[in-house]
Amino acid sequence: MSDARESGGVLNEALRAISAEDATAGAPPAVEARVMREFRAAAAARRRRVRAAVAILTLAAMLAIAAAIPTWRSMTSHGEASREPSVPPTSRREVTTEFMPLAYSGVPMTEGHVVRMEVPRASLVSFGLVPADGIDSAASAKVLADVIVGDDGLARAVRFVRRVEREGQRQ
Amino acid sequence: MDDRALLERVRRGDEHAFSRLYARYQSTIYRYAMHMCGAAAADDVVQDTFVALLRQPAKYDASRGPLVSYLFGIARHYVLKRLAIELPLDPLDDADGEAVALRAAEIATPLDVASRAELVAQVRDAIQTLPPAYREAVVLCELQDMDYAAAAAIMQCPIGTVRSRLHRAKAMLTTKLATLQSPSLATRQAP
Repeated sequence: MSDARESGGVLNEALRAISAEDATAGAPPAVEARVMREFRAAAAARRRRVRAAVAILTLAAMLAIAAAIPTWRSMTSHGEASREPSVPPTSRREVTTEFMPLAYSGVPMTEGHVVRMEVPRASLVSFGLVPADGIDSAASAKVLADVIVGDDGLARAVRFVRRVEREGQRQ
Repeated sequence: MDDRALLERVRRGDEHAFSRLYARYQSTIYRYAMHMCGAAAADDVVQDTFVALLRQPAKYDASRGPLVSYLFGIARHYVLKRLAIELPLDPLDDADGEAVALRAAEIATPLDVASRAELVAQVRDAIQTLPPAYREAVVLCELQDMDYAAAAAIMQCPIGTVRSRLHRAKAMLTTKLATLQSPSLATRQAP
């Protein structure tokens, strides 16, 4: 039995020696290179999938917007037509200035209308659109203007309109 | 940085984090695979194990054990595939195991006459001849210094089974070494 114990001890010693010898053993660098290559390929595939998903979502969003625009436009134009029947829509045949604030532009309003009217050409001077000495010969002439009038009847802003088909004529 | 944090980064595609995990565990997995199915196959087992991890990092559940056990589980799957076997839960009955241990005890082995290097080489070779279930117990408990509970988790068997397999494996190794050192004696005493 002592021989057996001795054999067992020797075997354990041998096993410890093997464990120590193998402690530094590891896969060769080529294995790590292959594994890292796989990782990069998987990461690239994941990025491609994410990009494809983003592209599909973007395309879907663009299609939805494109489909909605005509509907939105028709609803908007119908709404404006019903609210402002007296105002001709601005077309490519007209050139307008920006809306310029008037005296009551600071007064809050909940609803307003655009009213087209003829105003004396001299009113262009007060907005600096023509020099004061440039209207003498046509002081009585009229120009078109769109005026934003609030529901309280106060004018908030004005823009001047020129019809292009009357090329050469000044309104 | 702990394994969990590194794995979380791996999930987000962090190559450096994956490289650190590989460096941390490749040697352990390689040694296990090398003893179980040879050095050449061990390369492939290490590669397959880490590729499986990178492809499905979310499959690891930290509540079920440390990452190294999870990696051992994957590696073991590939090792068994290579060995093309199903490890039996307990391939020898207790009587057989006791008989092997008794024979080993009765044989007067002249291990002491072999040089240490020769002995280590012989034990290394003898381990390779063990049935896989016993080899695995020796590799995990003796060569990887794993406790019985950790080995049992990897081997998917009770701790008692790990103990008995290890006991029998050592008995078989002792017998094999005795046979190598003194073939005539072993032949005379073997039934």
